[in-house]
Amino acid sequence: MSAAPAVSDRSTPRWRAWLLLAPMVAWLTLFVVVPTAILIVYSFCERDEVGRVLFTFTLENYHRVLDPVYLWIFARSIGYAGLTTVICIAVGYPVAYCIGRAREEWRQRLLLLVMVPFWTSFLIRTYAWITILKQEGLLNGLLHQLSPTASPLDLLYTPTAVVIGLVYAYLPFMILPIYGSVEKLDGSLIEAAHDLGAGPLRVFSAVIIPLTLPGIAAGTLLVFVPAVGMFAITDLMGGARVPLIGNVIQNQFMQARDWPFGAALGAVFMALFAVTYWVMLKFGAGEEETPA
Amino acid sequence: MPATLTAAPRRRLPSGLRVLEVTLTGWTSLVIVFLYLPILVLVAYSFNSSRLNIVWESFTVGWYRRVWENVPLLRAAENSVIIAAVSTVLSVLLGTVGAWLLHRYRFRGARGLQTLVAVPMVMPEILMGISLLILFATAGLGLGFTAVIIGHVTFSFPFVLVAVQARLKGLDPAMEEAALDLGATPLQAFWLVIVPCLRPAIVAGALMAFTLSWDELIVTFFTTNAASATLPIRVFGMAKVGLNPMLNALSALFIVATVAFVIFSDYVKKLGR
Amino acid sequence: MKPLRLLLPALLALLVSAVAARAAGELNLFGWSEYIPQPVLDGFTKETGIKVNFETFASNEELLSKLVAGGGSYDLVQPSDYAAEVMIRQHLLSPLDPALLPNLKNLAPEFRQRPHDPAGRYTVPYMSGTVGIVVNTDRVKTPVRGYGDVFTPALKDRIVVLNDTREMVTWALYTLNLPINTITAENLARARPVVASWVKLVKVYDSDSPKTALLNGDVDVGVVWSGEAAILWKENKKFQYVIPAEGAHQFIDVLAIPANAKNKAAAHQLIDYILRPEVSVLISEAFPYTNPNLAARKLLSAEQLANPASYPPGHPKLETFRDIGKDAAAIDRLVTDLKSAQ
Repeated sequence: MSAAPAVSDRSTPRWRAWLLLAPMVAWLTLFVVVPTAILIVYSFCERDEVGRVLFTFTLENYHRVLDPVYLWIFARSIGYAGLTTVICIAVGYPVAYCIGRAREEWRQRLLLLVMVPFWTSFLIRTYAWITILKQEGLLNGLLHQLSPTASPLDLLYTPTAVVIGLVYAYLPFMILPIYGSVEKLDGSLIEAAHDLGAGPLRVFSAVIIPLTLPGIAAGTLLVFVPAVGMFAITDLMGGARVPLIGNVIQNQFMQARDWPFGAALGAVFMALFAVTYWVMLKFGAGEEETPA
Repeated sequence: MPATLTAAPRRRLPSGLRVLEVTLTGWTSLVIVFLYLPILVLVAYSFNSSRLNIVWESFTVGWYRRVWENVPLLRAAENSVIIAAVSTVLSVLLGTVGAWLLHRYRFRGARGLQTLVAVPMVMPEILMGISLLILFATAGLGLGFTAVIIGHVTFSFPFVLVAVQARLKGLDPAMEEAALDLGATPLQAFWLVIVPCLRPAIVAGALMAFTLSWDELIVTFFTTNAASATLPIRVFGMAKVGLNPMLNALSALFIVATVAFVIFSDYVKKLGR
Repeated sequence: MKPLRLLLPALLALLVSAVAARAAGELNLFGWSEYIPQPVLDGFTKETGIKVNFETFASNEELLSKLVAGGGSYDLVQPSDYAAEVMIRQHLLSPLDPALLPNLKNLAPEFRQRPHDPAGRYTVPYMSGTVGIVVNTDRVKTPVRGYGDVFTPALKDRIVVLNDTREMVTWALYTLNLPINTITAENLARARPVVASWVKLVKVYDSDSPKTALLNGDVDVGVVWSGEAAILWKENKKFQYVIPAEGAHQFIDVLAIPANAKNKAAAHQLIDYILRPEVSVLISEAFPYTNPNLAARKLLSAEQLANPASYPPGHPKLETFRDIGKDAAAIDRLVTDLKSAQ
């Protein structure tokens, strides 16, 4: 970030761009770079008997991170997050599209309608899900009414329940960015495609989806990335039977009192993400430039 | 002027597309039902007389009175509203301006900066909470409202930034150029042309930032003091003692308040016309 | 940006009032949310004029992390025994002045001078409990006396246990008749197959509210906090509490004063106030834990005293946890490995 913004073709003075950029750079440095640096220092430290961090250099924590147990847990977390993201796109895209194409005065109200359920407490909401999914719960009660002979579904405390919980929690973070892209779709383009003889599905896949790709990409980022580190939903709805990376990191602080190892796990997790993202930006840059 | 640039005027669509739109509307209604399913259960159970609130017992409105009497809980709700509102405003400012600058200027290190922006989204909350606490303690800054808001803005502004950036992609540069040609300063061009065009993404980003801040537990725990404790801190702490329908009642009241606020602001807007 | 113009002054006003409130006659309390009933705190403020700022946490590790990292300044904290032991060893606690605590005489001697605070210099017991077995006797007809009766293939997927790695390993050590507070690599190796077979049988791990799965009927038996079991028993007598014959973990939640406390006098006053029988009984009414205050127990109803989860009959083998230092990491590794291998 040492380079000054090189204004290519426009006449804005450099100092003004810098001035505008400065608050964000300062914020990121103070509250992201410095805390991350603290964590990295800790990850090379040892802990003493009472759990205090000793500032003696060691690589042991990173050795432990490479243990196959933790690598598997990483892989499993990515799997859950990936599945959640795909379902969120499939479920959320039509919703975002509908809201984006709704009458203008309705759009914000519909957005709010999507968001308001999440202004209740997470814990209370999750317990409501438990009331629905449990063996003697509302869903099984309804199924029993419809078909008294069917055996009740065993949903709660299974991976299915975890996925339901994850999709529920992250769905709005897919819908909202896609909405931002759909809202600026030019209706005449759609009609033009139609007039040229494309069927509705063809219009959808060849015109609408590509035009809203930036929204889908943003939604994927906002859902996938936080979902990898999620732990509360797996605990409450999955019965905490299978550890995910979020649980393991949390446990280093909240049970084992092993801060350096927790910091090392976190550092590797964040580094993996940052490198992947950077590479994607580098090679996806050409695509970004494509005018809509 | 911006409205005509953002939204195309709605015309009657050809029949094939109309079938598609009807299908999509049906699907959307189903998703809304999915989103509100637990909320209906939650509100229904706020009238449950059973203290443990796991099995339905009988109808009561007593929990609403208990909410009213529980001063610490109401204080926590008030703190949550203040913290979420202030962090949302700051996140929107930081995120929108950041997205615009990252979009508008090409400079060395831009990709690095872009990656850095995404880091708070991936940082596990416990790590962010503890490292911010160490930072504040080392720097001799006290914990409380300021510290909590700093933490919340740090993890929520990237959401605004990403949403706004998605909207900026493919934005016609001619718009800004036209404004500059007509004699606007770059700041005026940003404020009068770009921001209105970004409005839908800014609204979406603000909603996400508010939601994230409202329900955040772990970063809040490590940065709060007694005076700034938020609702999630209270609620999660109560698990040891047992959650009771009072919390459902509080959630229901908040939903009612939101709806009332929306209706009221619509009414005010209409009066203004 | 109208909201900004409205909100910033409001925020400033709040900050200013928070600073102004730092006047004399205040006590900063850091405790479990709701664990000290509000009427107790209100009564204390009314009598002494000391305002109590109650900041809450949800686990001992939250308390320790925040204190170790140097956040906040508290006059009175409420850790469990082993967390208090860590704090004593890190010199984070200040010795108490018995002269300021005349009501210490109300406490049962067996709750004082335990290994976490051998001389009883730093801590005062608040409430106590155990980790034992709760059985839904409508569903489970075979007698359940110990861990071996819970973790059987017959009860596969009908079991809830605390989501705590050390608890689970402790139960395995008890069944093998090994010491629970001296962790060796050899003993852990012996415990490993036991835990491995148990992990396959458990349906739910939940430390916060294990009673939920039991009340919902999703499981029939659990190894849980006695407080949870006492609530279940109050709800329905079919939930019976058993202290495992092999031995059980007892916890004692205590009150203690941090070394850097600013208002130690007020902290002593609040401790002594809580030790009054008529105040302590309020806590027992709100939370069915074991009250170490003998004078307060005299004021309890027969029904309260009959709750087997609060006041277990007989003389079971009970031990508190000691801080096991680095061995906690080995335990965490073991259980994570076994849970992940399923």
